[in-house]
Amino acid sequence: MSALLEVAPMSLSFGGLKAVCDFSLELAKGELVGLIGPNGAGKTTIFNLLTGVYTPDVGSVTLAGKLLNHPERGLRPFEIAAAGMARTFQNIRLFADLSVLDNVRIATHLRARSTFWGALLKTTAARKEESRQRSHAMELLDIFGLAGRADEVARFLPYGDQRRLEIARALATDPKVLLLDEPAAGMNPQEKIALKGLIQLVRERFGLTVLLIEHDMGLVMDICERIVVIDHGVVIARGKPSEIQVDAKVIEAYLGAAPDAAGEAGAGEAGAGEAATDSGAKA
Amino acid sequence: MTGTLKGLLPIAIGIAILFVFQAVGGPSMFGAYQEDALLVIGINIVLGLSLNIVNGFTGQFSIGHAGFMALGAYAGGAITYYGAIKLWGSYPPELPPGTGDLLFVVALVCAGLVAAGAGYLVGLPSLRLRGDYLAIVTLGFAEIIRIIITQTEPVLSKQEVSQHSTLSLFKYLGGKSIFDRIPRVTNFFWVYSVVLIVIVVCYRLKQSTHGRAMLSVRENEIAAEAMGVHTTRFKVRAFVMAAFFAGVAGGLYAMKLGNLDANRFDFQRSFESIVMVVLGGMGSISGVCLAAVLVTYAPYLLRDVGLDQYRMVIYSLSLVVLMVVRPQGLFGMHEAWTVFAGEAGRRRWQSFIGTPKRWYLGVRAYARKVVGT
Ligand SMILES: Nc1ncnc2c1ncn2[C@@H]1O[C@H](COP(=O)(O)OP(=O)(O)OP(=O)(O)O)[C@@H](O)[C@H]1O
Ligand SMILES: [Mg+2]
Repeated sequence: MSALLEVAPMSLSFGGLKAVCDFSLELAKGELVGLIGPNGAGKTTIFNLLTGVYTPDVGSVTLAGKLLNHPERGLRPFEIAAAGMARTFQNIRLFADLSVLDNVRIATHLRARSTFWGALLKTTAARKEESRQRSHAMELLDIFGLAGRADEVARFLPYGDQRRLEIARALATDPKVLLLDEPAAGMNPQEKIALKGLIQLVRERFGLTVLLIEHDMGLVMDICERIVVIDHGVVIARGKPSEIQVDAKVIEAYLGAAPDAAGEAGAGEAGAGEAATDSGAKA
Repeated sequence: MTGTLKGLLPIAIGIAILFVFQAVGGPSMFGAYQEDALLVIGINIVLGLSLNIVNGFTGQFSIGHAGFMALGAYAGGAITYYGAIKLWGSYPPELPPGTGDLLFVVALVCAGLVAAGAGYLVGLPSLRLRGDYLAIVTLGFAEIIRIIITQTEPVLSKQEVSQHSTLSLFKYLGGKSIFDRIPRVTNFFWVYSVVLIVIVVCYRLKQSTHGRAMLSVRENEIAAEAMGVHTTRFKVRAFVMAAFFAGVAGGLYAMKLGNLDANRFDFQRSFESIVMVVLGGMGSISGVCLAAVLVTYAPYLLRDVGLDQYRMVIYSLSLVVLMVVRPQGLFGMHEAWTVFAGEAGRRRWQSFIGTPKRWYLGVRAYARKVVGT
């Protein structure tokens, strides 16, 4: 079966630092794959390459047969979003001074069917577009339990709600592939369990393919079908959660890294069923 | 189609009311002095609101608004002055009735278009720049426009015009001296029709998906791009729109004063528009309107009470105080009516005017003090 998302071995250096080295990936439609690795391993940089923030030195990104990123022919991030790749940000990047509803509505703009002039003249098409966007956004907010807060200013939401709003906003672009960058960071154990359910729910409901970066090993091992582990920009292991937990290289990477990261790997290794520790909070 | 007509209706009704008001001599009941103040206020509202599209909506920092205004002023002035001579062979004030207004409308639209064209040329390359760099480019642009205008030749008289081709007339804009004898067609009706159109356009823009896309650029450019907003396109659009309305305001200004002096379009004038946007609250349409009224009318008031010589001191002091007390502007990013709407609005309103219980307690305490019990 042909993959939905194909990453041909891709590399990127920042000056002398090889942040990503020969990273390749294939995601089949509907898969939920984890991308893990110690701090500074290059996970966020890979998301930035997938979404066109950076252009790779070599390699390419192809989504549903469409070339998205390539050293010579890279699309801009907004074009990549339109092609069906949406993301959340590790360091939350909401439209902080706008309402919760506006945050989500803005992400539906790329599928808008009304023109700029139409908006100024307030044509029938423009009115229809407005009500379509509103109901679409409210539907998503409802799924994330944020409908009651639609008119609140995003900046004043509790941290966990901000993270969930980011996911709702990403979904509003109507993506094929959803990239989640540490969605559970800063959440408490209950919120993490709820988030787990939410990710699975939206994935089924919208037929999504998900790539998940997460430091909480319990969460990753629980919901991912496959896991890719990177360290220093290089893939060091791929496989099922059960294989990753006992992989010698992975254990070494985590033990060799920051002490708290080692704790996480340990938790994962111990066959973490329950949502473990507050490891995500350090982001 | 009916939707479009419905959309145009508020503007049509507003313009009709203004027309009747002007026709029955409404504006003159304010007296010449106040009427003049009203025209300046209206023109400044247009300037403030147009800059607000760039600085308030998309969050780009343009500080060369006077450049676009100057382009509009000179384009508008030249079109009415030379247009009347070329078309009818007479000075504009001597035109047959009605034609003057027609020429005026054409001149206003052209003033806007010339400025918008310049806005596009400046905006396209420079909107890739961020923050300070964009500010410097726009400032430089405004200065260049001003200097170019001072390099033009003196204005031609009726007799001289016939010896020149139409296009070459743009070399004769008064230069270092003054471009005078521009017909003074601008009146209350024209100024406030433009104000009305600008307010409706800004408000509808802000309420629409395209306006929200602009706001997202201000809020977080990286996130906006990632969510599919073509940020450069919206920045350029905002810039072109702002330039267009600034050009129209320039045209109104030229044909209100009747003469133009390039040195009046200096940084001071750009700065005035910036003050309106910052004071009103970035992106707040009602806030910018109110700020434009305050900033414009204050000098008139001071002149009335004889404090004219302290104008700049009072002006800068009150700016400093306002920025300390309300750094987010009068209404923040909100509109006047939403500041006091909804649950949060009620609380704000109550802390502002108090509750019946607080009034009662206050009055009782005062009464006790007076009675002395
Ligand atoms: N724009 C940049 N310029 C220079 N170096 C960068 C840049 N972005 C990331 N890096 C470096 O690239 C490496 C990988 O960073 P990246 O953010 O991708 O790590 P990560 O795996 O997401 O880590 P974390 O788990 O802490 O989020 C780090 O060493 C980082 O310092
Ligand atoms: Mg990261």
